[in-house]
Amino acid sequence: MADQLDHPPVRLDGVVKRYGGRTVLDGVSFEVPPGITGLVGPNGAGKSTLVRSILGLVRLAAGSVRVFGHDPAAEPLRVRSIVGVVPEDECSVPGLSGVEMVRFAARLSGLPGTEALRRAHEVLDWCDAGQERYRPVETLSVGTRQKVAFAAAIVHDPRLVILDEPTNGLDPIERRAMLGRLVTLARRHGKTVFVSTHVLPDVQAICDRVVVIARGRVRLAGTIDELTRTAVALERLEGDGPLEDLVGLLVARGLRARMGDGGPEEPGRAVVLEPPGPDRIDMVWHCAREVGVIIRSLSPLHRPLEEVFVQTLRRAAADDATGPAAGREVTHAGV
Amino acid sequence: MPVYDVGYRTWSGGRAPPGSTAGVIATTGIRLAWTSHWLRRLVFFAWSPALVFAMSFFAFEQAIEEGRLSNMRDAARQGRNLDGVGMLGTVLADTLGQARRKTTGEHDPAKHVDPKVDIAQTRRVVWSRLLLAFMRVPQAVLLAIIVGLVAPSLISRDLRAKAWLVYFTRPVSRWEYILGKASILAMLVATITLLPALVLWLTGVLVSPSVWVAVDTWDLPVKTIAASVVLAVPTVLLALAYSSLTPESRIASFAWFATWAACWVAHSSLAAADVMAMQQAEEASARRAATALADRRAAQDPRYDATVFDEPGSEPVPPATRAERPRRDRYLWLKKAAGMETSIDRWAWLSPYHALGVVQAWIFGTEDRWEAVAPSLLALVVISVGAMAVLFNRIDAPTRV
Repeated sequence: MADQLDHPPVRLDGVVKRYGGRTVLDGVSFEVPPGITGLVGPNGAGKSTLVRSILGLVRLAAGSVRVFGHDPAAEPLRVRSIVGVVPEDECSVPGLSGVEMVRFAARLSGLPGTEALRRAHEVLDWCDAGQERYRPVETLSVGTRQKVAFAAAIVHDPRLVILDEPTNGLDPIERRAMLGRLVTLARRHGKTVFVSTHVLPDVQAICDRVVVIARGRVRLAGTIDELTRTAVALERLEGDGPLEDLVGLLVARGLRARMGDGGPEEPGRAVVLEPPGPDRIDMVWHCAREVGVIIRSLSPLHRPLEEVFVQTLRRAAADDATGPAAGREVTHAGV
Repeated sequence: MPVYDVGYRTWSGGRAPPGSTAGVIATTGIRLAWTSHWLRRLVFFAWSPALVFAMSFFAFEQAIEEGRLSNMRDAARQGRNLDGVGMLGTVLADTLGQARRKTTGEHDPAKHVDPKVDIAQTRRVVWSRLLLAFMRVPQAVLLAIIVGLVAPSLISRDLRAKAWLVYFTRPVSRWEYILGKASILAMLVATITLLPALVLWLTGVLVSPSVWVAVDTWDLPVKTIAASVVLAVPTVLLALAYSSLTPESRIASFAWFATWAACWVAHSSLAAADVMAMQQAEEASARRAATALADRRAAQDPRYDATVFDEPGSEPVPPATRAERPRRDRYLWLKKAAGMETSIDRWAWLSPYHALGVVQAWIFGTEDRWEAVAPSLLALVVISVGAMAVLFNRIDAPTRV
C-alpha cells in the first residue's frame, strides 16, 4: 500500500510511440490521480495505444510510464496483476460460458481454483449478469458480454481499472447501472478508474478529471469543473416570470446582465450575469421580487463538455496546421 | 437486487505462485478440446492398434513359456501365421533372429541356438522392436492426423476472437502462454503414444512368466518416455507455429498436412531414386562380370558363343532382369519401422515422419550408427528452434500493430 501512497496510480512522462513512420503518441505527459479519470479523443487519437502502453504491451520510442511506481516495460506481470482492463474489442475464449470466462480470468490472475469460481459468481451477481452467465460467451448479447468483460476485469480486485468504451451496446438503464458501478468502485472501494470513451455525457456524469487527446498529444487536461468553466466567470440565473424585466433592472442598478442566448453554452431560458458576490446578492434577490420573478437557481455558468471537446479539437487542428510547436500548448490544470 | 448479491467485495486471499498460469491455460484448453466428439472418437480409435501389438507380446511370451521360440521363428520364416499375430509375425521372426545374433554373437542363421541362453536380452530386443514399431507406424500417423485437427485452432482461434487480449492484459508471459498451449498438445501426444506404449509394456509384464521381467526391462518405459518427448517437441512446436501465423485455422491445418505429405513424397522420391540407382549399378556390375566371364571363355575357346549358351548342353543365362530379382518383402515398411532396416536412409532428415523414426530407433537402441542419426536429429532440432522462434515472435504480434 506504501507505493500507492507514494506514487500516483498512473504517470506518463514524454511518451512517444511510433508505428513505422507514423507517430501515434507524441510526447504524452499526464498523471492519473485516484478517483475517476476520463480519456476522450477522436478516433485514431491514440487512446488504445496509450492504454496498451500503460499495460506494457507496446515498446515506447521515448518517455516513461509508471503504474503505482512500477515500470510496465520492466515489470509487465507485476503491473498487470494490479490492473484490470476492459478492452474496446470484444475478446473471449471461444467455447467458455460467461462464468467460466470470468473464472478463467481470475485463475490467470492467480486466484486459486475454487475461490476463483466463487469470486466469479460474486462479481457476476454484482454486475447483474443473471442466468445468462451459463451460456457460451459468443452467444451472449452485446450488453451481457460487456458485463462479463467488466466482471473479468475486476474479478481479481485490481487497484486500477482501465475501461475502453465501457458503455458500448448498453441500453440506458444498463448504462446507468454500469456508471454506478464505476462510481462505487472509485468512491467506496478506493479504486482508480481510467475510462476511455466517446460518450461525453458519461464522462461529465462520473469523472473527476478528464484528459483530451488528439493526434497523439494531450490537448487539454483538468477537472471537469475547470475545463467547463467559461473564460469569464459568469453566473446563470433560472427563474419563472419576466426575466427580461429583471435584466433591465439589474443593468439599471449597475450589474452586468443579459438574457442567455439559448445556445449550447447557455441552454434554456435564463439570465446570464456577472457574479454578484456576497455584498450584492441581496440586491439581485430584491430586484427579482420587484419585477415578480421567482428564482429557481443561481449557479456558475458551465459550458457542456461536448462544446469544450469540439473547440479543443478545432484548436488542435489549427495549431497543428500552423506548426508542431504550437500544438504543444497543453493545459494541465489541476492534473 | 437478488438476495445473493453481496455487492462488490475486495479480495484479500492468496495468489498462486508466478508461472502457474501455464497449467491454467493447459487445463482449460484440454477441457475445451475434449468437448469435440471427433477428437474423442479419434483418440479412442488411436488406442485400437495397441490391441494388435498386445497380441504380439502375448504370442512372444507364450512362445517363451512353452519353450518353442525357435519353432516360432522357423514358422514365421516359412510364411506361416504366428498364433494369430499375422503380419507382425514377420517382424517378430526376424527380430528373434537378430536378437539371437545380438545376444550370442552368433552370425550363422542356420545354426540352432537355444533362446533360453539369454532369454532376458532376447525379450528386451523383441519388446523394443515391438514398441518402436507401435510408436512409428500406427501411432505416429494417427498423431499427425489428430494434432492436425486440434493444433491449428489453438492459437489462430485466439487471434481471430482477440482472446490474446484476455491473456496479455493479465499476468501471463509469452513463455507461459506457449507452455500452456504446448501442454495441451503434449497431453494429446501422451494419450495417443506414451500411454498405450506404457500399457503395452505393462501388458508384456503381466503376460510374462514372472513380474521380475519388469526389472529386466526397466529401461523400456524410460526409452518410451524419451521417444514420446522426441515425438512431441518438434511436432507440437511446428503445429503451434503454423497456428500462430494465421487467424484462419483452416490455413494452418492445410499447411500442417501439406508439410507432412510434401516431405513424405520428397523423401520417398529421393529414396526410390537411390534404390533405382543402386539396382542399376548392381545390374551393370552383373553385366560386366558376365561379359568378363564370357570374354575369358571366348579367349579359351574361339567357338564359344556367349549370347546363346553358357555351357554346351545347358540352359541360356540371360542377363539379370527385374522379373528375376527376389520379390520385395511385403512387410518391408513394418521392418523399417521396427528398426530392422540395415541400410542408411540418407534422406530421412527431409521428412519429419522419417526423421522422427530414425531418432526414435536411436533411442530404443535399434539404430546406433551416428552417421544415420545425426542428420535427422539435426533436422528435428532445427524444426524445433525455428518453430519456437516463430511462436515467440508471433503470439503477441497483434499488440504491436
